[in-house]
Amino acid sequence: MRCPIRECLIAISFVLAVGGVAAAAGAQDPVINPPPQAGDWAALAKLPDWSGVWTPSMSDQDARIKTDPIPWRSAAAAQIAKLIAAEEAGNPKGLFVDCLPESMPSWMLITHNALEFLFTPGRVTILGESDGNRLRRIYTDGRPHPADPDPTFHGHSIGHWEGQTLVVDTVGILPETYIAFSEAVGLPNNGDMHIVERIHLAGPDTLRDDLEITAPHVLTRTWKTSRILFRQRARKYDIVEGVCLQGSYSEGADADGNAAFVPATQTEGGNILPSGK
Amino acid sequence: MMKLKFLKSVCVFGAVLALPAYAHHSFAMFDFNNTVTFKGTVKEFRWTNPHVVLLVEGSPKPGVAAEVWSMELTSPGNLTRGGWSRRSFKPGDHIQLEFNPLRDGKHGGAFRKATLLDTGQVLSSNLRDAEKPGLK
Repeated sequence: MRCPIRECLIAISFVLAVGGVAAAAGAQDPVINPPPQAGDWAALAKLPDWSGVWTPSMSDQDARIKTDPIPWRSAAAAQIAKLIAAEEAGNPKGLFVDCLPESMPSWMLITHNALEFLFTPGRVTILGESDGNRLRRIYTDGRPHPADPDPTFHGHSIGHWEGQTLVVDTVGILPETYIAFSEAVGLPNNGDMHIVERIHLAGPDTLRDDLEITAPHVLTRTWKTSRILFRQRARKYDIVEGVCLQGSYSEGADADGNAAFVPATQTEGGNILPSGK
Repeated sequence: MMKLKFLKSVCVFGAVLALPAYAHHSFAMFDFNNTVTFKGTVKEFRWTNPHVVLLVEGSPKPGVAAEVWSMELTSPGNLTRGGWSRRSFKPGDHIQLEFNPLRDGKHGGAFRKATLLDTGQVLSSNLRDAEKPGLK
């Protein structure tokens, strides 16, 4: 069974060569996120200053309902009319009672909570309070959208700077996320939604998000609207943790005396009753 | 025995979760054209997201037995910005309470203002008072 050395080397070389060709043909080079260089960090200083904490203008949100009506398709409009009637009657369905994220685009449209921006090489990150702490990653490194992105609550966002304006393009959003103009009135986008935002300073401490929302299954045309946020620098405005589901639990103890969350006692209407009652 | 206990607790847990969870709800259930005021005693102050809850025992009408009323507020983050903390109220505090009641007549409401009767400190909450930049 032993082979002469020369023949063995030839056989081994053949096997390695064939294996190498197969590997080269069957695999793609992984896409690498390159380490940022000093110049990449220095370039961030040339971007507009969006530091601080940004609080939404709820009055502006309300005003936009009238000035920028949503172009619902007729079937959607009929559903919206029912939701408005329920809200006006004080018996709203409530879109976010399950504590799932407000998601895109409703986070931008109706939030009552603060948010902040982080600039790092190749990315803008938006962090916010509530629904388990909100997060949008906007890639500004020139990458395209994935060909077939996994749908998510906030979608896949790519962005680029046009002067002092961040232009953000978002796709890959779950069809269940709401296009809402209040916490009680809105409809699922039903899929294939595409959102383009132009975010820019509208004053020294005022940020404006101009949105173009295309949702062909529920809207007759692209809906254009905008939202305003105000900058706060007082430290008490710093973003804090906000886990939506925490309110459904009380601080209690397990059978072994460990600190544990126990379901809060609620009335049928959702009002919290005293712990242990 | 342990197993039975565990199963029982799972069943209880499941039953409670089956109740509607109105955690992050619209405030349309409250009647903002109607304001109710009464003196009461703080039973519990829940400093939790998405809505802080203040439970107050009292009676809005003379001669009616005191009961626990559940007051809803905005989030801890938003209240912190308004100068509140998780220690703003403690059980046993005597307060004058002002709120917009639930439209369905149940014992709950949207908190507007409370005065701590021992110190005179007033705590209020209205996010729309803070719609400008550079707040201190």
